[in-house]
Amino acid sequence: MADVCSGNAVEVQGLVRAFGARKALDRVDLTLPAGAFLSIFGPNGAGKTTLVKVLTTLTSPSKGTAKICGLDVVKDAVDLRSRIGLISHNPLLYPDLTAEENLEFFADMYGVIDPKQRIRELLASVELDHRRLDPVRTFSRGMLQRLSIARALLHRPDVVFLDEPYSGLDPHAMDILDSLIAQIREQHTFVMVSHDLAKGLELCSHALILAKGKVVLFEPRERIDPEEFAALYRATVGSGVA
Amino acid sequence: MTKNRLTMWFLGLGGLITTVTFFMAFFYAPPSLFRDGRIDFAQKIFYFHVPVAEASFLVFFFTAFYGVRFLMTRRKEFDTKARVATEVTLVFVVLTLITGDLWTKFEWGAWWVWEPRLITYFIMTLLVIAYFVLRSSVEDEERRAVYAAVFGILAFIDAPISFAITRLVPSGFHPVVLKSGGLEPPMLLTFIIGQIGMLMLGYAIFRLRMGEEVTRERLETLKAALED
Amino acid sequence: MTGAALSWRQFKAILRKDIVMELRTKEMLTSMGLYTLLTMVIYQVALSQTGSAFNVRLIAAGLLWLAFVFTSMLGLNRSLVHEKDQGVLDALLLSPIDRPIIFFAKAVGNFVFLMVVEIISLPVFWFLFLSGGGPASVPIFTTLWQLLFALVLGSIGIAGVGTLLATMSVNTTGKDFVLALLFIPLMYPLLLPAVSSSSAAILGGMGATQQFWQGIGIMAGYDVLMLLAAYALYEFIIGA
Repeated sequence: MADVCSGNAVEVQGLVRAFGARKALDRVDLTLPAGAFLSIFGPNGAGKTTLVKVLTTLTSPSKGTAKICGLDVVKDAVDLRSRIGLISHNPLLYPDLTAEENLEFFADMYGVIDPKQRIRELLASVELDHRRLDPVRTFSRGMLQRLSIARALLHRPDVVFLDEPYSGLDPHAMDILDSLIAQIREQHTFVMVSHDLAKGLELCSHALILAKGKVVLFEPRERIDPEEFAALYRATVGSGVA
Repeated sequence: MTKNRLTMWFLGLGGLITTVTFFMAFFYAPPSLFRDGRIDFAQKIFYFHVPVAEASFLVFFFTAFYGVRFLMTRRKEFDTKARVATEVTLVFVVLTLITGDLWTKFEWGAWWVWEPRLITYFIMTLLVIAYFVLRSSVEDEERRAVYAAVFGILAFIDAPISFAITRLVPSGFHPVVLKSGGLEPPMLLTFIIGQIGMLMLGYAIFRLRMGEEVTRERLETLKAALED
Repeated sequence: MTGAALSWRQFKAILRKDIVMELRTKEMLTSMGLYTLLTMVIYQVALSQTGSAFNVRLIAAGLLWLAFVFTSMLGLNRSLVHEKDQGVLDALLLSPIDRPIIFFAKAVGNFVFLMVVEIISLPVFWFLFLSGGGPASVPIFTTLWQLLFALVLGSIGIAGVGTLLATMSVNTTGKDFVLALLFIPLMYPLLLPAVSSSSAAILGGMGATQQFWQGIGIMAGYDVLMLLAAYALYEFIIGA
């Protein structure tokens, strides 16, 4: 079910997301090969979350196209959804259900074929197996995020989106997240939104800076000089609240 | 500038026709008589009440229509048109209630009667008010437009259902009193002219408001462009 | 998994989740149940000056439906709040689910909760208001099944349209108020026949059977029409 997609993981052409006069995304172009790790930076209101929303089919484009693994975000939305996962700063979990029940629920939603096996596997890898019968309400922030990772990976997505995943995490949880990403790095494509410049650059194979809905910079990692980048980033963030 | 001319024509003509209707109602159309021969003066209100009631319903159709168009295209202009159409509906619905209420007072002596048509228009007033309250309580622009469109469509479906159902379901109150079946030609003529006049006025008001909205949109676009 | 089988699995999952969560917290049921009880206390106050000759049966149907309408609005809001909290709704929307399935699952859940509250309230209402005043003119069994029938049809409409409206109102400032404002005018054409048929069931008398069935027919028509509309419109709202 989860071959790495052939061709490009992400293809965005002339993407516009606007309502009336206000443009959240203004003619964005982007091509990301499969297996890449994209870090998206930018000031608040730059359109980062909107871009992720379009790519994860939560919002549709006003103009232009976006494709993930060759699937169009509008026309092939339903198929696309089973190939992507989202780890957000919100855990996206039901507080009154246990960890196991939460995962069972999402396994049903995604039609996961071997739910019990898969759930055990994931709970073990996020080190939450001993808490699986506890209501999520009782979890700490770090544990919530770990369970959220399990939720996101349940259906073996090809492309994993991360929306400020490290925010509010304790070091232990951060390590787990890091090691999980390292484990699946090979077979997956990642798109991460982050305010953490160092972390973002460290992990990425490509970097994108957005400001006011426009692409300020999009380069593969090799071509980026860390100091120049940091300067540009600071300049953009400093001046660019939309 | 032809657009504005057209609006002015409609406004002027509509106003003129409505005034003519007023005079026709009193001087041209023969008085309606009760069975015992008394003149039913209050019936004159009919020439305003029904046109404005029917006009309000027609404009409400446009609320739903533009709502559908918006949902299909997601273009902001359709949301604006739907909103303006609803504003015009509000004006007409309130006028309907007022004229209807006056008529009720003259006919039955009470200021309010739970009679099918009045109930239906009361419900419509509530629906239109709900539309605006809904709009003002949603912060995100696009979500506001989507919600308003959906509710507008539901409300438009609901209005005629209310009317049909209040007629069907038995209630203990006054049965609907209809006067003699048909309208004599002079009355019919007055009525039709009144209807046309009201519709023209409605359209003119719609265009006037839309003109304001379009200007406002242009201003917004300019502001946004300046910020870049 | 294939389309239909997956949809059914998803539907069951959402419905099961809502019921399990409710059974665990008992939030909705207790608040709805207590609310109905409190409404009846107010009824007692409202009727306190009517004297013993007053036949409560005449307005019993109206009182019942009044209580249920307000209770249902309370329940509807709460059922959607769970999804809004924590933004979990996004997780639902990210999954390969046909949006209308979410609507059906939520609506059926709301319908079930509403029916539970109604069925429990019925005997309580009877006990408080209708047990005195001489024998009823309608055999109890007839009244009961007719009332149940009316309750079911009315609750279907309330749950269906209510779920759609609550999905919107939960995202507004002033949630409960907005829901009430949207809900009551749209519900009006359902409530009239609901009270009419329930009243016929309770009072009996000349033409009661005809009145009952007419009310049932109108409610059924309303349910079909509005549920179709809600089903068609739901996906626009949930994605907004």
